[in-house]
Amino acid sequence: MSVDTTTSAGSDGAPDSLGTDADAEALVAVFRRVLENPAAGVDSDFFLLGGDSLIATRVLSAIARGHGVELSFEDFLLAPTPRGLAGKIAAAR
Amino acid sequence: MIDVFTESVIRHPDRPALVHHGRVLSYRRLHELANTLAGRLGDRPGVVAVAATRTPETVVGLLGVLASGGAYCPVDPAFPFERQQAMVKAAGCRTMLAADSGPATRLGLVPVGLGPFAELPANPAELAPTGNSPSHRAGPPAPPDNPRLPAPGRTAAGAEDPAYILFTSGSTGRPKPVVTPRRAVSATVHSLRGLFGLTPEDRVLQFASLNWDTCFEEILPALTTGAALVLDAEAHSGSFPRFLRMVERERITVLDLPTAFWHELVLHLAEGGPGLPACVRLLVIGGEAASPARLADWSALDTGRIRLVNTYGCTETTLITHAVDLHGPGAPSPGREWDGRTNAPIGRALPHVVQRISEQGELIIGGPAVALGYLGLPEATADRFTLLGGERWFRTGDRVSSSPDGVLTHRGRLDGEVKIRGIRVDPGEVEAHLSGHPWIQAAAVVAATLAGRSALVAYVVPRPHARTEALDTEVLAYLRGRVPGHLVPSRITVVPELVLTASGKVDRAGSHRRHTPPEQVKGDLR
Repeated sequence: MSVDTTTSAGSDGAPDSLGTDADAEALVAVFRRVLENPAAGVDSDFFLLGGDSLIATRVLSAIARGHGVELSFEDFLLAPTPRGLAGKIAAAR
Repeated sequence: MIDVFTESVIRHPDRPALVHHGRVLSYRRLHELANTLAGRLGDRPGVVAVAATRTPETVVGLLGVLASGGAYCPVDPAFPFERQQAMVKAAGCRTMLAADSGPATRLGLVPVGLGPFAELPANPAELAPTGNSPSHRAGPPAPPDNPRLPAPGRTAAGAEDPAYILFTSGSTGRPKPVVTPRRAVSATVHSLRGLFGLTPEDRVLQFASLNWDTCFEEILPALTTGAALVLDAEAHSGSFPRFLRMVERERITVLDLPTAFWHELVLHLAEGGPGLPACVRLLVIGGEAASPARLADWSALDTGRIRLVNTYGCTETTLITHAVDLHGPGAPSPGREWDGRTNAPIGRALPHVVQRISEQGELIIGGPAVALGYLGLPEATADRFTLLGGERWFRTGDRVSSSPDGVLTHRGRLDGEVKIRGIRVDPGEVEAHLSGHPWIQAAAVVAATLAGRSALVAYVVPRPHARTEALDTEVLAYLRGRVPGHLVPSRITVVPELVLTASGKVDRAGSHRRHTPPEQVKGDLR
């Protein structure tokens, strides 16, 4: 998965906010790939772009592999944007 | 059904029946709780609405309703209130089981309390099998508000009496209640115990929502065998690493997953990492066509020890009517590598199933599995349930072909019905709800492959002078307030007009082709 390489460089040892920004950017790429929608941005709501609980598992798997954090579907519902999920990742680390 | 459950209780009183986050309910205790509840419901309570959640309480509710001679009618507390109202009205419920009286009161039904059973013993070791001694140490006494423990079968509900009422999609926009009699459930569950090869050693994961019939495939064969039914929130966390660890921790031997979820699981497994734990011996899938690509991925993984069984069935023909081993030790050629192009068959008829294939290739099901019909809808019932040679048959609407050994392959639908996350959807139902919005003049709904899965796509034509900016978001919010999630389209596109057929009807596929960017028109249009 592309996430692995793009995020580890950005978040490694970087200050928190920079790490979170890099995570958010990486998640934009995940959203675009999973939703097959190049228009997804850092504040795009996954569920308004046609996402559902089924393909949300692909985003959660990408986060588990790329960021080593096992978020749940509930976390996703509370923060359904790349920026929001990056915050959840930072909080879980 | 209840009699077979009672036999399990007599044979395995101290074995675990329900396991929930490490807490265990023995067969004896489950039997007591179900009978207590049946006593509280009274004799023949009719159709009982149950606020169904993935909890031991709901399973007790199901068994209690069946033991009282009533019919189980699950009402998802997460559904919009209007939908819940329409469901209990269509099913003719008078009573509702829930943890508190709120839901019943709001729906105008008589509330009956359901748990919680705080006194569940927490230590599974207490429930180790103790032979045939009539042990009383594992289960606390029945609650004091229970004046009698009625013997199961006291009402002797008849074979033609309903066991449950579930809803399927109808073009009018109103939920369509299917009435399933007890003989259909008994015959099917008997076949399923054989198909799954269940033993008391098995531990079956309760994955399906207790609001859909798939849950009975998990609950009833397990509890009539003496096996353990395992409920665990980690099954629904959305995280596959957590899901796989839970399967290993709970020593799950049987998984019954919606095909759409299995597709995602295979995608996850194919990317590396820990595979399915060694405890899993059987994986049952069903609900929609198995993807040839995922099947190829699965057969290339280290999964040869696991029976992968594809299943087919309709709500109107009770759970599962057809099944076949696709891969693993039960398959005709166990090590077969699927090539990524071959469609998976849906299976051969289970022992209790009688079938015909019409000249048009439509699969028609007879025998004990056929439901009683759609409650209060004689025309819709006559349309799908037909008399042939004095017997009742159900027209599935599915076209099939048969191989010489009786294994069927699906060849499409005779009508416009589609499957979304394993749930049947009549696009007409979604169109009816869309057209109920004051700003919408006409709507066309199709199923398309979006992001690698089957999803609903809607095209809406606004009324003259309607505000069209953000109309798609407005309509999405409108639908979410009225219908369950599987009826909400993944994409709503506002268009100036729909494509019509020569006879003036809306051409769904034509509208989709005209209004979708060419690179997005792919997959099945049905």
